[in-house]
Amino acid sequence: MTSRPHERRRWLGLAGTGCLLLLAGCKSDSLPSARVLPDTPGGTPPIHIAGCENTVIDPGRVTLHRLNRAEYDATVRDLLGDTTHPARAFPADDHGYGFDNNADVLSLSPLLMEKYASAAEALVESAWTRGTLRTCELDPANPEPCARDILSRFARRAWRRPVTAEEVQRLLRPIALAKQHGDPPEAGVKLALRSVLVSPHFLFRVEMDPEPTSAAPHKVNAFELASRLSYFLWSSMPDEALLQAAEQDKLRTPEELEAQVRRMLADPKAQALVSNFAGQWLFTRALDSAEPDPTLYGAFNDTLRRAMRQETELVFQEFLTGDHKLKDLLDAPFTYVNDALAAHYGLPLPGSTSHQRVDLSAHPERRGIFGHGSLLTVTSNPDRTSPVQRGVWVLEQLLCSAPPPPPPNVEGLPPAVNPNMTMKERMAMHRALPQCQGCHRMMDPLGLALENYDPIGRWRMKEVSGAPVDATGDLPDGNVLNGGADMRRFVKEDPKLPDCMTEHLLTYALGRGMSNVDSCAVRFIAATAEARGGRLSDYILAIIFSDHFTSRRGDTEAQSP
Amino acid sequence: MSRKPTLSRRTVLRGAGALLALPCLEQMLPGSARAAAPTPAPKRLAVFYVPNGIHMPKWLPTGTGAAWELTPTLQPLAPVKSDVLVISGLANDSGKPDGDGHHAAGTAALLSCTKAFKTEGTELRAGISMDQLIANHLAREKATRFASLELGIDAGRGIGNCDSGYACPYANNISWSGPRTPMAKEVRPQAVFDRLFGGTHPGETQAQAARRRAYGMSIIDSVREDATSLQRRLGTTDRRKLDEYFTSVRDLEQQVDALGGAGACGMPTAPGGDEDPRAKTQAMMDLIVLAFQCDLTRVVTFMLANARSNKVYGFLGLSGGHHAYSHHQHVQSNFDALARINHWEVEQYAYLVRRLKEVRDGQGVPLLDNAMVYFTSEIEDGNGHIHKNLPVLISGKGGGAIGTDRHLRAPGVPIANLYISMMRAMGVPNVTAFGADGTQELPGLGG
Repeated sequence: MTSRPHERRRWLGLAGTGCLLLLAGCKSDSLPSARVLPDTPGGTPPIHIAGCENTVIDPGRVTLHRLNRAEYDATVRDLLGDTTHPARAFPADDHGYGFDNNADVLSLSPLLMEKYASAAEALVESAWTRGTLRTCELDPANPEPCARDILSRFARRAWRRPVTAEEVQRLLRPIALAKQHGDPPEAGVKLALRSVLVSPHFLFRVEMDPEPTSAAPHKVNAFELASRLSYFLWSSMPDEALLQAAEQDKLRTPEELEAQVRRMLADPKAQALVSNFAGQWLFTRALDSAEPDPTLYGAFNDTLRRAMRQETELVFQEFLTGDHKLKDLLDAPFTYVNDALAAHYGLPLPGSTSHQRVDLSAHPERRGIFGHGSLLTVTSNPDRTSPVQRGVWVLEQLLCSAPPPPPPNVEGLPPAVNPNMTMKERMAMHRALPQCQGCHRMMDPLGLALENYDPIGRWRMKEVSGAPVDATGDLPDGNVLNGGADMRRFVKEDPKLPDCMTEHLLTYALGRGMSNVDSCAVRFIAATAEARGGRLSDYILAIIFSDHFTSRRGDTEAQSP
Repeated sequence: MSRKPTLSRRTVLRGAGALLALPCLEQMLPGSARAAAPTPAPKRLAVFYVPNGIHMPKWLPTGTGAAWELTPTLQPLAPVKSDVLVISGLANDSGKPDGDGHHAAGTAALLSCTKAFKTEGTELRAGISMDQLIANHLAREKATRFASLELGIDAGRGIGNCDSGYACPYANNISWSGPRTPMAKEVRPQAVFDRLFGGTHPGETQAQAARRRAYGMSIIDSVREDATSLQRRLGTTDRRKLDEYFTSVRDLEQQVDALGGAGACGMPTAPGGDEDPRAKTQAMMDLIVLAFQCDLTRVVTFMLANARSNKVYGFLGLSGGHHAYSHHQHVQSNFDALARINHWEVEQYAYLVRRLKEVRDGQGVPLLDNAMVYFTSEIEDGNGHIHKNLPVLISGKGGGAIGTDRHLRAPGVPIANLYISMMRAMGVPNVTAFGADGTQELPGLGG
């Protein structure tokens, strides 16, 4: 991402904190001017972002966002108390920019609409049977007052905003229809409840622009902000406390916003960030489909698969609420293992089939995510390690500097790979080819430094061929990474790391991909988060206070015919 | 309107791979089809997609015209050789990516012959696929309850980017109802079964059916009003998203309208096979046959795996991933692995073709005779990512449009021309151009 300084110069409102970006009336060749950030609740010093002084921050816009499967399931859980995960029967969501909550690729096919319609019927039937929705008794002679109560309460929560009198009136219509067909009023109420769940107001997260064709940024309204918060942190609808805060217009103050965020992060529903954000950012979801070669890596089984996944989830969970710097994910001195996983890693057994927190001061090789079997497995081929995949993972997921793809038809180039070569020799072949070496000189050393971990994450001193592992990687600048510890340090010190972690988190928070125009905002958020202490919660708060999160603009694109 | 199911509870599918025991008797045909006696037999299209190309040396017949022999990879087609047309040489230049991303770009263009816009998400843009043009035509004719079915074996990749900067929808869908709207596919046989037969209510009275339709319609009317009032207040991009909603609601409406009407076939037994890939594939093939047999749809697309699939075919004795093998680097062991995978793929396709040949329509004619069962991949060779000389098979005579038992050579001809011919064979009127380079019918297709 490169910054694109804007020609216009003006004062800009920056985050919900009321901080301001000071833009001097200078030419591009003059000295950078300062960005002045007044104290936030966390007491942040001023943030200066070189190269962004003259940039007008454009919060962008998020396309009408269909609930994805995880969001649908969590929403009906919180709305109806339904824990049957109806969305498991829906077609898979596609993902874009690494996340399956990307609004632009979340399309709505006829197949999905069919699923919504039948899920709504089943959900309403079962909730009605449980009595969840019946706040009053429907009087067959005069059902309207009670129906109105049931439907307006339900629609307010399902649509995550106040409903208008006109909308409620419309929802009452099926009662008359039911009567025509000789059915009791509850049949009509159930029809209305079903239509609430198939309405675009439920299936989409609707955000309105006062002027849909204007590029001028505006704050999203309190209810839209409440939904942004709850779908970011919980993958679910706002709860009553958040909805009421929106109704009382309390989410405007940074104190209230921060209090809500901290309350939400402490709620078990924040587990959604672990499974939906971390599961995709750290690739733990790919464990489901990992198939290590059973003849070579028969030690891998479903018990281990689950244990590895849980390890990474528990570590991330601790980062969510604990007092660790986010960067420490790379070399955290603790992890969570059960006996099976500890044995697999060669760690002392904690004496439990459930995961226990263990200290790694005596086992530096297991520190941080590069010691996790989950990541090491999903970045391997079924039959061997892949320093390239591991290197690309680091570059893409941690440094946001993915190399360009191989040039066209490079795969067909001779010479063929000799399977008896050591990994180091194989990788050297990449770098021998002039058209390949540019990128492989970046990727390979990062992956080679992890060669002591086999394709299922076990520590090893020898390759499958019997040759001793050579875990040194030569960086393009001539420095040598000798093993995992060097590599962790190298990545952790890379100044691109905070920006990149922000980019992934912001992509997920907004449900849209980042582009060049977002570059300054990303850097500003990262710097703010680091200045606040660099914890995951600091990153989350810096995002939530940002204009990108609290604002949007209209769509300047011409109306299609 | 409603009628008693004449064949209810007959066992049709007894677990994955069970033979279809249901004869397609005259009384099973849709009411409308029976009423107007001499209507032409319905034409049907099934598309069978495999990823990562084909190892061509073991695929391509040497002889041309009628003088062709089955190659090792095509051997599973022996029982139906007389129903198979091999076409070689067709090209889909629209499948070439910007830079890398051959699999996603090739798959997005597979049935649309339109170059996909390179993006990981923003401004997703491909083209309408030929199966959807056919489905639209048939929907206007109200031919079947489902305008089309989109099926597959695998859900999308859970993580990462899908193919060198191309968004995952490009890699996971061959069917597109419009440039921005992929048709999501169903990957669980049980769910397909429920979808096909869940709407049938044996023994329902006319009044009950009418009530169910009226209730269904009331929901549709209500949500359509919500969407209409919302649409007026949205910007262009959001309106486009809401358009998908409107289209889907319209589809749902047609299905609600058709409930209890045409297409009833009794309630067969559900297939198993939601887990094992072999059983799952066979169950999907059985469901395609059943959907055709019961005239629930006339257009099906099926993806044996998603683009760039790196599936491990352990049951073929292989431990490496499919995509990894496809970058064979001219290593013999990779060629061998690919040939095994390709053979298995053709075996699954051959099973579908065989079943469609065995099952007969109301006139006693094999379903296959009026069908086209189309096999292809997004590229030719996986190592070089070639978008020319694509592997192409068509089984079935398409009601006379296809001359089978031949190897037709069409070097360099745009595959879009084949699609023009197929769309015309399916009854779509006035197609003279398609995709980026389709300009005319493919000559010689009828033999």
